[in-house]
Amino acid sequence: MNVLSIVLAAEDPSQSHHWLFPEIGEIIYGSIASIVIFSTLYKFGWPAAKKALETRTAKIQQEIDESAAARRNAESDAANIRKALGDIASERSRILADADAQAAAILSEGRSRIAAEVAEMEARATAEIAAARSRIGDELRAEIARLSAVATNDAVRAALDDRTQQELVDGFISKVGASR
Amino acid sequence: MSGQQITAYVNAMFDVASANDAVAVVEDEMFRLARAYETNEALRSALSDATVPVARRQGIVEQLLGGKAHNVTVQLASLLVGTGHVSLLPQVADALVKRASSEKQLEVAEIRSAVALNDAQKTRIAEALSKATGKKLNLKVVVDPTVIGGIVATVGDEVIDDSVRTRLDQVKSRF
Repeated sequence: MNVLSIVLAAEDPSQSHHWLFPEIGEIIYGSIASIVIFSTLYKFGWPAAKKALETRTAKIQQEIDESAAARRNAESDAANIRKALGDIASERSRILADADAQAAAILSEGRSRIAAEVAEMEARATAEIAAARSRIGDELRAEIARLSAVATNDAVRAALDDRTQQELVDGFISKVGASR
Repeated sequence: MSGQQITAYVNAMFDVASANDAVAVVEDEMFRLARAYETNEALRSALSDATVPVARRQGIVEQLLGGKAHNVTVQLASLLVGTGHVSLLPQVADALVKRASSEKQLEVAEIRSAVALNDAQKTRIAEALSKATGKKLNLKVVVDPTVIGGIVATVGDEVIDDSVRTRLDQVKSRF
Protein backbone atom coordinates (compact mmCIF):
# COMPACT_ATOMS: atom_id res chain seq x y z
CA MET A 1 0.00 0.00 0.00
CA ASN A 2 1.39 3.30 -1.03
CA VAL A 3 0.95 6.80 0.39
CA LEU A 4 -1.61 7.93 -2.16
CA SER A 5 -3.93 5.00 -1.38
CA ILE A 6 -3.60 5.80 2.30
CA VAL A 7 -4.55 9.44 1.62
CA LEU A 8 -7.51 8.46 -0.53
CA ALA A 9 -8.68 5.89 2.01
CA ALA A 10 -8.64 8.58 4.70
CA GLU A 11 -10.68 11.03 2.66
CA ASP A 12 -13.87 12.04 4.24
CA PRO A 13 -16.65 12.25 1.57
CA SER A 14 -18.74 14.34 3.93
CA GLN A 15 -16.54 17.32 3.81
CA SER A 16 -16.28 19.63 0.74
CA HIS A 17 -12.75 20.80 1.50
CA HIS A 18 -9.99 18.22 1.54
CA TRP A 19 -8.11 18.15 4.81
CA LEU A 20 -4.80 17.99 3.05
CA PHE A 21 -4.99 20.63 0.29
CA PRO A 22 -5.40 24.41 1.06
CA GLU A 23 -8.30 26.43 -0.04
CA ILE A 24 -8.19 28.29 -3.37
CA GLY A 25 -7.96 31.72 -1.79
CA GLU A 26 -5.20 30.61 0.49
CA ILE A 27 -3.36 29.37 -2.55
CA ILE A 28 -3.83 32.64 -4.40
CA TYR A 29 -2.79 34.83 -1.55
CA GLY A 30 0.01 32.58 -0.68
CA SER A 31 1.19 32.57 -4.26
CA ILE A 32 1.00 36.36 -4.47
CA ALA A 33 2.87 36.66 -1.18
CA SER A 34 5.44 34.25 -2.41
CA ILE A 35 5.83 36.17 -5.65
CA VAL A 36 6.26 39.40 -3.72
CA ILE A 37 8.77 37.85 -1.38
CA PHE A 38 10.72 36.22 -4.19
CA SER A 39 10.59 39.41 -6.26
CA THR A 40 11.84 41.42 -3.33
CA LEU A 41 14.50 38.88 -2.67
CA TYR A 42 15.38 38.88 -6.34
CA LYS A 43 15.52 42.64 -6.53
CA PHE A 44 17.33 43.36 -3.32
CA GLY A 45 18.98 40.11 -2.15
CA TRP A 46 20.19 38.69 -5.43
CA PRO A 47 22.66 41.52 -6.30
CA ALA A 48 24.15 41.33 -2.86
CA ALA A 49 24.38 37.56 -3.07
CA LYS A 50 25.70 37.78 -6.60
CA LYS A 51 28.25 40.37 -5.54
CA ALA A 52 29.25 38.26 -2.57
CA LEU A 53 29.63 35.25 -4.88
CA GLU A 54 31.65 37.29 -7.37
CA THR A 55 33.81 38.65 -4.55
CA ARG A 56 34.29 35.20 -3.22
CA THR A 57 35.00 33.91 -6.72
CA ALA A 58 37.51 36.71 -7.28
CA LYS A 59 39.09 36.02 -3.91
CA ILE A 60 39.30 32.33 -4.66
CA GLN A 61 40.75 33.09 -8.11
CA GLN A 62 43.22 35.47 -6.50
CA GLU A 63 44.19 32.82 -4.00
CA ILE A 64 44.48 30.31 -6.84
CA ASP A 65 46.68 32.80 -8.75
CA GLU A 66 48.74 33.48 -5.65
CA SER A 67 49.12 29.79 -5.04
CA ALA A 68 50.21 29.33 -8.63
CA ALA A 69 52.69 32.16 -8.28
CA ALA A 70 53.91 30.74 -5.02
CA ARG A 71 54.24 27.39 -6.66
CA ARG A 72 56.19 28.90 -9.52
CA ASN A 73 58.39 30.74 -7.01
CA ALA A 74 58.83 27.56 -5.06
CA GLU A 75 59.69 25.65 -8.22
CA SER A 76 62.12 28.43 -9.18
CA ASP A 77 63.65 28.36 -5.71
CA ALA A 78 63.84 24.60 -5.91
CA ALA A 79 65.56 24.91 -9.28
CA ASN A 80 67.93 27.49 -7.88
CA ILE A 81 68.65 25.29 -4.90
CA ARG A 82 69.23 22.31 -7.15
CA LYS A 83 71.50 24.45 -9.29
CA ALA A 84 73.29 25.76 -6.20
CA LEU A 85 73.71 22.22 -4.95
CA GLY A 86 75.20 21.36 -8.28
CA ASP A 87 77.51 24.36 -8.06
CA ILE A 88 78.52 23.42 -4.53
CA ALA A 89 79.33 19.91 -5.62
CA SER A 90 81.32 21.29 -8.53
CA GLU A 91 83.14 23.78 -6.27
CA ARG A 92 83.85 21.02 -3.78
CA SER A 93 85.30 18.89 -6.53
CA ARG A 94 87.36 21.82 -7.81
CA ILE A 95 88.65 22.65 -4.32
CA LEU A 96 89.53 19.02 -3.70
CA ALA A 97 91.30 18.87 -7.05
CA ASP A 98 93.21 22.08 -6.27
CA ALA A 99 94.14 20.74 -2.85
CA ASP A 100 95.35 17.50 -4.38
CA ALA A 101 97.35 19.41 -6.96
CA GLN A 102 98.90 21.67 -4.32
CA ALA A 103 99.70 18.72 -2.09
CA ALA A 104 101.33 16.95 -5.00
CA ALA A 105 103.31 20.09 -5.88
CA ILE A 106 104.43 20.60 -2.27
CA LEU A 107 105.38 16.95 -2.02
CA SER A 108 107.31 17.11 -5.26
CA GLU A 109 109.03 20.33 -4.25
CA GLY A 110 109.88 18.92 -0.85
CA ARG A 111 111.32 15.79 -2.40
CA SER A 112 113.35 17.86 -4.84
CA ARG A 113 114.63 20.14 -2.08
CA ILE A 114 115.52 17.23 0.17
CA ALA A 115 117.23 15.50 -2.72
CA ALA A 116 119.21 18.67 -3.45
CA GLU A 117 120.15 19.10 0.21
CA VAL A 118 121.21 15.48 0.47
CA ALA A 119 123.28 15.87 -2.69
CA GLU A 120 124.86 19.05 -1.33
CA MET A 121 125.62 17.37 2.01
CA GLU A 122 127.14 14.42 0.21
CA ALA A 123 129.26 16.73 -1.94
CA ARG A 124 130.38 18.71 1.12
CA ALA A 125 131.14 15.55 3.05
CA THR A 126 133.08 14.19 0.11
CA ALA A 127 135.06 17.42 -0.18
CA GLU A 128 135.74 17.47 3.56
CA ILE A 129 136.86 13.85 3.47
CA ALA A 130 139.13 14.62 0.54
CA ALA A 131 140.51 17.72 2.30
CA ALA A 132 141.02 15.78 5.53
CA ARG A 133 142.70 12.98 3.60
CA SER A 134 144.96 15.48 1.86
CA ARG A 135 145.70 17.32 5.11
CA ILE A 136 146.43 14.12 6.97
CA GLY A 137 148.60 13.00 4.07
CA ASP A 138 150.51 16.28 4.14
CA GLU A 139 150.88 16.12 7.91
CA LEU A 140 152.01 12.52 7.68
CA ARG A 141 154.52 13.37 4.97
CA ALA A 142 155.79 16.34 6.99
CA GLU A 143 156.08 14.22 10.12
CA ILE A 144 157.85 11.47 8.21
CA ALA A 145 160.18 14.08 6.72
CA ARG A 146 160.82 15.57 10.15
CA LEU A 147 161.46 12.18 11.74
CA SER A 148 163.57 11.23 8.77
CA ALA A 149 165.60 14.42 9.14
CA VAL A 150 166.07 13.83 12.86
CA ALA A 151 167.01 10.21 12.26
CA THR A 152 169.37 11.19 9.48
CA ASN A 153 171.01 13.88 11.61
CA ASP A 154 171.36 11.48 14.52
CA ALA A 155 172.73 8.75 12.29
CA VAL A 156 175.25 11.08 10.66
CA ARG A 157 176.19 12.59 14.01
CA ALA A 158 176.79 9.13 15.42
CA ALA A 159 178.87 8.23 12.41
CA LEU A 160 181.10 11.28 12.78
CA ASP A 161 183.86 10.31 15.20
CA ASP A 162 186.42 12.74 16.50
CA ARG A 163 188.89 11.95 13.74
CA THR A 164 186.29 12.66 11.09
CA GLN A 165 185.33 15.89 12.85
CA GLN A 166 188.95 17.02 12.82
CA GLU A 167 189.20 16.10 9.15
CA LEU A 168 186.12 18.22 8.43
CA VAL A 169 187.71 21.17 10.25
CA ASP A 170 190.97 20.71 8.38
CA GLY A 171 189.02 20.41 5.14
CA PHE A 172 187.29 23.72 5.86
CA ILE A 173 190.62 25.41 6.55
CA SER A 174 192.14 24.04 3.38
CA LYS A 175 189.13 24.99 1.30
CA VAL A 176 189.01 28.54 2.67
CA GLY A 177 192.75 28.97 2.46
CA ALA A 178 192.75 27.88 -1.15
CA SER A 179 189.86 30.08 -2.16
CA ARG A 180 191.83 33.31 -2.74
CA MET B 1 164.24 51.96 22.54
CA SER B 2 166.20 48.70 22.89
CA GLY B 3 168.71 49.99 20.31
CA GLN B 4 169.47 52.99 22.49
CA GLN B 5 169.62 50.76 25.57
CA ILE B 6 172.03 48.40 23.84
CA THR B 7 174.27 51.28 22.76
CA ALA B 8 174.22 52.71 26.28
CA TYR B 9 175.12 49.37 27.83
CA VAL B 10 177.88 48.75 25.27
CA ASN B 11 179.43 52.16 25.82
CA ALA B 12 179.32 51.72 29.59
CA MET B 13 180.75 48.19 29.44
CA PHE B 14 183.49 49.19 27.04
CA ASP B 15 184.49 52.10 29.26
CA VAL B 16 184.57 49.90 32.36
CA ALA B 17 186.52 47.16 30.58
CA SER B 18 188.95 49.74 29.17
CA ALA B 19 189.45 51.26 32.58
CA ASN B 20 190.34 47.80 33.87
CA ASP B 21 192.47 47.10 30.77
CA ALA B 22 190.41 43.97 30.12
CA VAL B 23 188.51 44.75 26.91
CA ALA B 24 189.67 41.65 25.05
CA VAL B 25 188.93 39.32 27.92
CA VAL B 26 185.61 40.85 28.82
CA GLU B 27 184.24 40.99 25.30
CA ASP B 28 185.25 37.35 24.72
CA GLU B 29 183.68 36.18 27.96
CA MET B 30 180.52 38.21 27.32
CA PHE B 31 180.33 36.67 23.86
CA ARG B 32 180.56 33.13 25.23
CA LEU B 33 178.09 33.90 28.00
CA ALA B 34 175.66 35.26 25.41
CA ARG B 35 175.95 32.08 23.32
CA ALA B 36 175.36 29.99 26.43
CA TYR B 37 172.33 32.14 27.23
CA GLU B 38 170.97 31.60 23.70
CA THR B 39 171.42 27.85 23.62
CA ASN B 40 170.70 26.91 27.23
CA GLU B 41 166.99 27.01 27.97
CA ALA B 42 167.44 26.38 31.69
CA LEU B 43 169.93 29.23 32.04
CA ARG B 44 167.66 31.56 30.06
CA SER B 45 164.68 30.72 32.24
CA ALA B 46 166.63 31.08 35.47
CA LEU B 47 167.98 34.52 34.57
CA SER B 48 164.75 35.82 33.01
CA ASP B 49 162.23 34.58 35.57
CA ALA B 50 160.79 37.73 37.15
CA THR B 51 159.28 35.69 39.99
CA VAL B 52 162.80 34.86 41.20
CA PRO B 53 164.32 37.67 43.30
CA VAL B 54 166.96 39.73 41.50
CA ALA B 55 169.58 39.00 44.15
CA ARG B 56 169.12 35.31 43.66
CA ARG B 57 169.42 35.61 39.87
CA GLN B 58 172.56 37.69 40.27
CA GLY B 59 173.82 34.97 42.60
CA ILE B 60 173.33 32.46 39.79
CA VAL B 61 175.50 34.62 37.51
CA GLU B 62 178.22 34.96 40.10
CA GLN B 63 178.09 31.24 40.86
CA LEU B 64 178.27 30.44 37.14
CA LEU B 65 181.15 32.81 36.30
CA GLY B 66 182.86 33.24 39.64
CA GLY B 67 186.52 32.19 39.50
CA LYS B 68 186.24 31.40 35.78
CA ALA B 69 185.61 34.86 34.33
CA HIS B 70 187.04 38.31 34.81
CA ASN B 71 185.53 40.25 37.68
CA VAL B 72 184.38 42.97 35.31
CA THR B 73 182.50 40.38 33.21
CA VAL B 74 180.73 39.09 36.29
CA GLN B 75 179.75 42.60 37.35
CA LEU B 76 178.47 43.58 33.89
CA ALA B 77 176.41 40.39 33.57
CA SER B 78 174.97 40.97 37.03
CA LEU B 79 174.15 44.53 35.99
CA LEU B 80 172.04 43.28 33.09
CA VAL B 81 170.23 40.84 35.36
CA GLY B 82 169.74 43.48 38.03
CA THR B 83 168.22 46.02 35.63
CA GLY B 84 165.88 43.42 34.17
CA HIS B 85 167.49 43.61 30.72
CA VAL B 86 169.10 40.20 30.63
CA SER B 87 167.12 39.44 27.49
CA LEU B 88 169.37 41.98 25.72
CA LEU B 89 172.49 40.00 26.64
CA PRO B 90 173.08 38.46 23.15
CA GLN B 91 172.68 41.79 21.35
CA VAL B 92 174.77 43.67 23.94
CA ALA B 93 177.54 41.06 23.80
CA ASP B 94 177.61 41.08 19.98
CA ALA B 95 177.69 44.88 19.92
CA LEU B 96 180.44 44.91 22.54
CA VAL B 97 182.51 42.47 20.47
CA LYS B 98 181.97 44.58 17.37
CA ARG B 99 182.90 47.77 19.25
CA ALA B 100 186.04 46.19 20.69
CA SER B 101 187.01 44.80 17.30
CA SER B 102 186.47 48.10 15.52
CA GLU B 103 188.72 49.80 18.06
CA LYS B 104 191.48 47.47 16.83
CA GLN B 105 190.42 47.75 13.15
CA LEU B 106 189.35 44.09 13.26
CA GLU B 107 186.36 42.42 11.67
CA VAL B 108 184.42 39.93 13.79
CA ALA B 109 184.48 36.39 12.43
CA GLU B 110 182.01 34.04 14.07
CA ILE B 111 182.97 30.41 13.75
CA ARG B 112 180.37 27.78 14.50
CA SER B 113 181.79 24.31 14.93
CA ALA B 114 180.28 21.02 16.01
CA VAL B 115 183.29 20.31 18.18
CA ALA B 116 185.63 22.45 20.23
CA LEU B 117 188.63 23.80 18.35
CA ASN B 118 192.15 23.87 19.71
CA ASP B 119 194.33 26.97 19.54
CA ALA B 120 196.25 25.72 16.50
CA GLN B 121 193.03 25.18 14.57
CA LYS B 122 191.76 28.63 15.60
CA THR B 123 194.98 30.21 14.39
CA ARG B 124 194.86 28.36 11.07
CA ILE B 125 191.23 29.25 10.58
CA ALA B 126 191.93 32.93 11.33
CA GLU B 127 194.78 32.94 8.87
CA ALA B 128 192.75 31.22 6.18
CA LEU B 129 189.79 33.54 6.62
CA SER B 130 192.03 36.62 6.69
CA LYS B 131 193.59 35.46 3.48
CA ALA B 132 190.20 34.74 1.93
CA THR B 133 188.52 38.00 2.99
CA GLY B 134 191.52 40.30 3.06
CA LYS B 135 190.57 41.50 6.54
CA LYS B 136 192.12 41.29 9.97
CA LEU B 137 189.78 39.20 12.08
CA ASN B 138 188.69 38.86 15.66
CA LEU B 139 187.75 35.19 15.79
CA LYS B 140 184.84 34.09 17.93
CA VAL B 141 184.26 30.37 18.16
CA VAL B 142 180.91 28.91 19.13
CA VAL B 143 180.44 25.20 19.71
CA ASP B 144 177.12 24.47 18.04
CA PRO B 145 176.01 20.81 17.94
CA THR B 146 173.35 21.62 15.34
CA VAL B 147 176.15 22.08 12.82
CA ILE B 148 176.69 18.28 13.17
CA GLY B 149 180.12 18.47 11.53
CA GLY B 150 182.40 20.96 9.77
CA ILE B 151 182.33 24.73 10.24
CA VAL B 152 180.11 27.72 9.44
CA ALA B 153 182.06 30.98 9.32
CA THR B 154 180.40 34.40 9.24
CA VAL B 155 182.48 37.47 8.48
CA GLY B 156 180.34 40.56 8.21
CA ASP B 157 177.68 39.74 5.64
CA GLU B 158 179.66 36.88 4.16
CA VAL B 159 178.84 33.31 5.20
CA ILE B 160 181.11 30.38 4.41
CA ASP B 161 179.12 27.26 5.16
CA ASP B 162 180.96 23.93 5.02
CA SER B 163 178.82 22.17 7.58
CA VAL B 164 177.43 18.67 7.44
CA ARG B 165 174.05 20.09 8.39
CA THR B 166 173.92 22.19 5.24
CA ARG B 167 175.05 19.29 3.08
CA LEU B 168 172.31 17.11 4.57
CA ASP B 169 169.76 19.87 3.97
CA GLN B 170 170.87 20.07 0.36
CA VAL B 171 170.53 16.32 -0.05
CA LYS B 172 167.07 16.37 1.59
CA SER B 173 165.93 19.21 -0.62
CA ARG B 174 166.76 17.12 -3.71
CA PHE B 175 164.26 14.50 -2.49
